[in-house]
Amino acid sequence: MQTPEYAAPATLNDALLLKKERGADASVIAGGTDLILRMRDNVLSPALLIDLRAIPLANISLTDNAMHVGAYVTLAQLLANDDIAENFPALPAACREFAGPPIRNRGTLGGNIVNASPAADLVPPLLAYDASIVLASSGGDREMPLAEFFTGPGQTIMQPDEILTEIRLPLMPPRTAASFIKLGQRRSMAISIVNLTIRLTLDASSAVSEARIVLGAVAPTPIRAYAAERLLTGSEVSDELIEQVARNAEKEATPISDTRASEAYRKNMIAVLVRRALLATRAELQKNASSD
Amino acid sequence: MRPVTEINIQLTVNGETERVAADTTQTLLHVLREDLGLTGTKDGCASGDCGACVVLLDGQAVNSCMVLAPQADGSQVTTIEGLAGNGDLHPLQRAFSETWAFQCGFCTPGMLVSCHALLESNTNPSREEILTAIAGNFCRCTGYQGVVKAVMQAAAELRAASSTPGTGHD
Repeated sequence: MQTPEYAAPATLNDALLLKKERGADASVIAGGTDLILRMRDNVLSPALLIDLRAIPLANISLTDNAMHVGAYVTLAQLLANDDIAENFPALPAACREFAGPPIRNRGTLGGNIVNASPAADLVPPLLAYDASIVLASSGGDREMPLAEFFTGPGQTIMQPDEILTEIRLPLMPPRTAASFIKLGQRRSMAISIVNLTIRLTLDASSAVSEARIVLGAVAPTPIRAYAAERLLTGSEVSDELIEQVARNAEKEATPISDTRASEAYRKNMIAVLVRRALLATRAELQKNASSD
Repeated sequence: MRPVTEINIQLTVNGETERVAADTTQTLLHVLREDLGLTGTKDGCASGDCGACVVLLDGQAVNSCMVLAPQADGSQVTTIEGLAGNGDLHPLQRAFSETWAFQCGFCTPGMLVSCHALLESNTNPSREEILTAIAGNFCRCTGYQGVVKAVMQAAAELRAASSTPGTGHD
């Protein structure tokens, strides 16, 4: 691979100035677990690596009714955080099935997002929790819904002078539960064949007030199954409705056939996994209601 | 700091201070094996999948093939060579040999370092916790049951040693 220049700026401001100066020639490096592979395979040949290790972007804090997660927070940190486990349990559920401990100790939440893999395991839970992201540049910060960030495999709307600095998760209303399921060839060190997160929030009459069904690895970007979500909204989660939603969830998916699975298999698995996730989410809501 | 293509890094490896001039594409694995001659850490898949290159970086198990040398500047590194103290095998190493927890041995250094990281934070791990700790370490000849047995045995030994004053491994 080509030998890039390397810098580990001490402040975010210095990093943003370098990024502005060098633009698309410069790659930000955090955990490096994706970037180093791509450099080794000559998929990416950055002229400059900007290492964020000296910049304090690894905090998790709860303020203003939102969880603020620094982009440099590792998957291991996320997995060990009690506030995250209590408020956003689908995130640690996804971390637990992400690679293995040595990769989780290096790989960061920000990296899993900007890498923009259609199969990124942390993105479905983030989308199900309505996460937003902060993109910083020397001209200032902009915050946007994560849902607007991805445009295709490896493609995002991030500008060459921007760095992802923070992920924000709004605190969920009461009577909310979520489930994450990953289907891979094995439980560890596997890229997802299908991954998904379902999040349901109930109103006072136990009807669904908010439904999120987010599917990964079955389209050019992680997607929401909007039509299936609409079937849930306003209704109680009956067995019949679960069947109907599961059968409809695949309609917005456009999976490909690749070395991991065929298109037909992925479509079939969406129905199976959506059914399982809905059953698990409903069980969690009932458990929470009986313990209130 | 100005951008550079070669960097002088300082590492504390198994307690010894080391200074190495590395180019920016060299990995921590390369520095350990080629510059410092610590060939216990193995170069397996070179893509973060197999775990043969696992070392402790500031106390955490990482794939040293997936860490660029400059990213490790200023860090504490523990390799397989750092596990045994004063020529005595670490209880984990002894347990691995007594329970036949390896066959060809290529995965063993990384496996041992991952298990060591587990025991540093948990001296009474469950079978499930052990399997989670080695989820990033592949063994392709003898499997994982012996490893689970070995870690259980070493953990029991470490617990017994720490509850008997004067006989513990520090």
